[in-house]
Amino acid sequence: MPGCCNCLSSCKPRYKRLVDSIFPADPEDGLVRSNMEKLTFYAVSHNEKLDRIGGYLAHRLDRDVYRQRIGYVVISMQALDQLLLACHAQSLNLFVESFLRMVHKLLESNMPELQILGTNSFVKFSQIEEDTPSYHRTYDFFISKFASMCHNNSDHAETRRKIRLAGLKGLQGVVRKTVSDELQVNIWDTTYMDKIVPSFLFNMNEGFDSHESPVHDHPEEKPEVLADSCLRDVMRRAAYANIHTVIKPVLKHLDLHELWVPNNFAIKVFKGIMYSIQSQYRYVTPHFLLLHLDEHMKNTPKIKRSIVEILKEIVAIAADGAVGPSVLEIFNTLLRHLRMSVDERLSGGQASSTDRSASSSKKTKQKFDENEEILFEEAIIDTIGAFANILPDYQKIEIMMFIMGKVPMPRDRSSTVLQEEDHPLSLEPKGEGDILVQDMLLKSLLEVGTKYTTVSMATTFPASFFQPLLNMSVITNPGIRVIVQEILHTLIDRRDNVIKLYANRGIVKNIADLELKCEKASRQDIMFMRKHGAEFQWHIFENLIRVKNTTKNFVAIYCTMALLCVELGTDDILVDLVKLALALQDHACDPNCKMPLTHLYAIHSIVAQYLNLIGQLTAIPSLCQHISQVIEERRKSAPYLLPPISVEDKVPATSPRGVAPDLLFHVDSISEALASSGHDVTRLSLPYIHVQEPQNVDTRPRSLTDVGSINVDFELLHSSPTAGRKRPPEEVTFESLKQVLISGINDSSAEDERQKRLDVLHSFQNSTLDELAAAADTRNEKWQQKLNDILDTVTKSPQTPAGSPTRPDPSTPLQFQSIPTYEMKFPELCVY
Amino acid sequence: MEDYKYLFKVVLIGNAGVGKTCLVRRFTQGLFPPGQGATIGVDFMIKTVEIGGEKVKLQIWDTAGQERFRSITQSYYHSADALVLVFDVTSTETFNALPSWLKEVEQYASPKVISVLVGNKIDLASDREVTNEEAETFADTHDMRLLETSAKESDNVDKLFLDIAVELTNNVRNSDIKNSLSEDPIRDHSSVSFCCRT
Ligand SMILES: Nc1nc2c(ncn2[C@@H]2O[C@H](COP(=O)(O)OP(=O)(O)OP(=O)(O)O)[C@@H](O)[C@H]2O)c(=O)[nH]1
Ligand SMILES: [Mg+2]
Repeated sequence: MPGCCNCLSSCKPRYKRLVDSIFPADPEDGLVRSNMEKLTFYAVSHNEKLDRIGGYLAHRLDRDVYRQRIGYVVISMQALDQLLLACHAQSLNLFVESFLRMVHKLLESNMPELQILGTNSFVKFSQIEEDTPSYHRTYDFFISKFASMCHNNSDHAETRRKIRLAGLKGLQGVVRKTVSDELQVNIWDTTYMDKIVPSFLFNMNEGFDSHESPVHDHPEEKPEVLADSCLRDVMRRAAYANIHTVIKPVLKHLDLHELWVPNNFAIKVFKGIMYSIQSQYRYVTPHFLLLHLDEHMKNTPKIKRSIVEILKEIVAIAADGAVGPSVLEIFNTLLRHLRMSVDERLSGGQASSTDRSASSSKKTKQKFDENEEILFEEAIIDTIGAFANILPDYQKIEIMMFIMGKVPMPRDRSSTVLQEEDHPLSLEPKGEGDILVQDMLLKSLLEVGTKYTTVSMATTFPASFFQPLLNMSVITNPGIRVIVQEILHTLIDRRDNVIKLYANRGIVKNIADLELKCEKASRQDIMFMRKHGAEFQWHIFENLIRVKNTTKNFVAIYCTMALLCVELGTDDILVDLVKLALALQDHACDPNCKMPLTHLYAIHSIVAQYLNLIGQLTAIPSLCQHISQVIEERRKSAPYLLPPISVEDKVPATSPRGVAPDLLFHVDSISEALASSGHDVTRLSLPYIHVQEPQNVDTRPRSLTDVGSINVDFELLHSSPTAGRKRPPEEVTFESLKQVLISGINDSSAEDERQKRLDVLHSFQNSTLDELAAAADTRNEKWQQKLNDILDTVTKSPQTPAGSPTRPDPSTPLQFQSIPTYEMKFPELCVY
Repeated sequence: MEDYKYLFKVVLIGNAGVGKTCLVRRFTQGLFPPGQGATIGVDFMIKTVEIGGEKVKLQIWDTAGQERFRSITQSYYHSADALVLVFDVTSTETFNALPSWLKEVEQYASPKVISVLVGNKIDLASDREVTNEEAETFADTHDMRLLETSAKESDNVDKLFLDIAVELTNNVRNSDIKNSLSEDPIRDHSSVSFCCRT
């Protein structure tokens, strides 16, 4: 260093001289680069001086801001930025204080240039990782000011855009700076997020509707684009406990800015949230929307519909992640709203006349719009379907059971049956309210059902679901009964046959035309039908003889019958179905039958259509021949006994009630035909007798079959040749069932016994140990299955009314995990 | 090297159109802006005043009165040292809205906040709908000071903010006094002078 020639100027400390030297005489000339390098070098090599350099620069900046010498202000900030980047030392900490004070100073100015300048420096700073955290530092002012800038309302469009962009970048910078270091500022605090989130949304929405050409500027320079990525950025960083501090301001913003209807902006926002939120937390978003729906309970159906529609949109994004630990809570909430909307409709808008919050009072005063309620209900059902769609199948069953549990049931079976007005013991019909609720809930159930793929009937129809479903199938209201049939269709139909069946309303000439897909029923399904077939038959019969039936009912029930035949119609089950058809024919011919002619003809038509289908499916020549002969006769002399069915059309008063014998199907001919192809027809000789004996549901024929089926099970497991000796031959017992099961060909039971013994022996002789073990395993599985079924019915029969409208405090999303009932029911679902 | 001794945050609230922005601009810039548009979100202004020989910096947050911005504006109450609740003396509606504003204050602001009630636009005397007595009664029952102003005529505008600055300064000093018996509280602001452009 040269000697005393520097004495005079060195009255000032060296660092000050270095700082002064970077400022040119004319600010227009910009930063003196060579001197800036010297200053930087000095600062890097004299870390301890950094602090003072910062202080001095800040001092100069203060003065320049005050004097509005913008050129020098810019130079100061450039210098600060460079020093900040160059010095990664411990003493940076103190320097940062000076730095932030200067940024603060610039942001306080009401000159846009200075605000933008300050923001840019701040953004650079936010990208630096500091070695040591400074606990006392706060960003309150920065956040407040940046949020304010995001709402800048300058008359000059370009200034407005620039300041808003700066505000967004600034907020992004604060988030970036603080989010990684929890010891510093907790950016997730609501005081911050309540400023940050609305600022993003305001900018996103400002540009949302404008369709100005995006040609001239970079998308990143558009506030709406930047705001969108800012929001996603925040969402991506949010840990579980912080999600609510982001989503709640979103909901509030959409409320205040009335952005639910139309909902395209809200959908955009929520899609953004769903795409960016950490995938393991995706399920939280739908929950918040559901809670919000609850808060809007008293609001217009329009708004509620919008929210529900958004739910539907985002559920698809979340895929299996949308449901989370409390599946039932979701469905429960949706069903609750469905229920309330129905109540609202029933009361003509009076149900929620008491206002709770001031904000909603304005809206509830609007006049009640039934159509809007209906649209809302449809949206709920759609959304229920969307949620169901992402559930694994076993949960869909649970959900269907859950919905079933909410359907108002006829008080008991007797009331169902006796309700029919024409019935001698007719009770007063149930209220319109129940019907509407049943209608809506069953539609929801149907929606879930269509998303479900049946593998085995026994799994699809656990007793606690099957029973109430069948009960509902014979309810008075014909419209609801159609829905129940549709539920049965979608659950029984495994091969998309139902559309084809529906499409065919007449007599099929060639079954191949229908392109039905048939496969042989599995043993499990056969077992299921052995157990429940009689119940099916009873309900189908009961259903068909209802005088209120519309054409739709007949068509739907025919489809159910046809599906049973296509999906499960083997051996004795097929025979049972034939028996049912003949019983229906008998019923229609009974002179005591009080049904209107239209309905009698409809039953005859269904019988014809059904037997024709069975004939074609079994392709037994003599059967087909008899059936087509009768059909031909009818075509000639009584076309009204053939489909297509239409009970709404009037029949001529001259139409005969009685039906000539050659127009009827004959049990003998059919029986013969079936026997000729090896079917066991003993059960056909014992006609199906329909007992309308509602009180003793459980003593109806089904119980017999039940016992039989269980015995058959046993029989197969321990093929003891001595079992079942003392059977009365003319009754349908386990023994006759067994015969069908084992051979289906031999009609001599002694022969059969022998054959069976041979089979067992054969299998033991010719199978390897492994095969036997495997066979034993499958049997075991079936036992297990049975056991499970029983346990199922035992544990689930008292339907837990999980529908109590308790909901967790919205401020604590953690509570979503703590709904014990659901956790017990869905342990597999618990993410945590 | 701070350029002030005390920093206080003042937040203005009240219905849309009562003249909050005009009051702030009159105070900070000394002008009455023609055709002042509605505030969007929150605006920010700064003003440093001298009180008892000491520089006091006022950060003034001017909130939008429109209801749709309520969520962002409420988030500014929290850190306010003083709240200025403004209504328009020519509009009963803005006066009737005061209770709900107070409810918000209670909900979102710090309990230590001082609030001042301001009836603005007194220059429009012939259009007056809210009498001074009504306003006084309201202020009394809610334990607030009332000041009637005109941003247009610059009536009471400086006094409004300076009173606040004095009160806040005294509050801080009083709490300082608990530790060390020193300065006397300032009784009026005759000693007040403006300084610092922004
Ligand atoms: N005559 C008169 N008019 C005033 C006065 N103060 C404000 N105004 C007028 O009132 C209107 C609204 O003033 P602003 O200051 O924008 O009102 P604000 O409270 O900020 O409104 P928001 O920003 O929407 O909340 C403007 O047209 C002003 O010119 C006043 O003291 N006297
Ligand atoms: Mg304003």
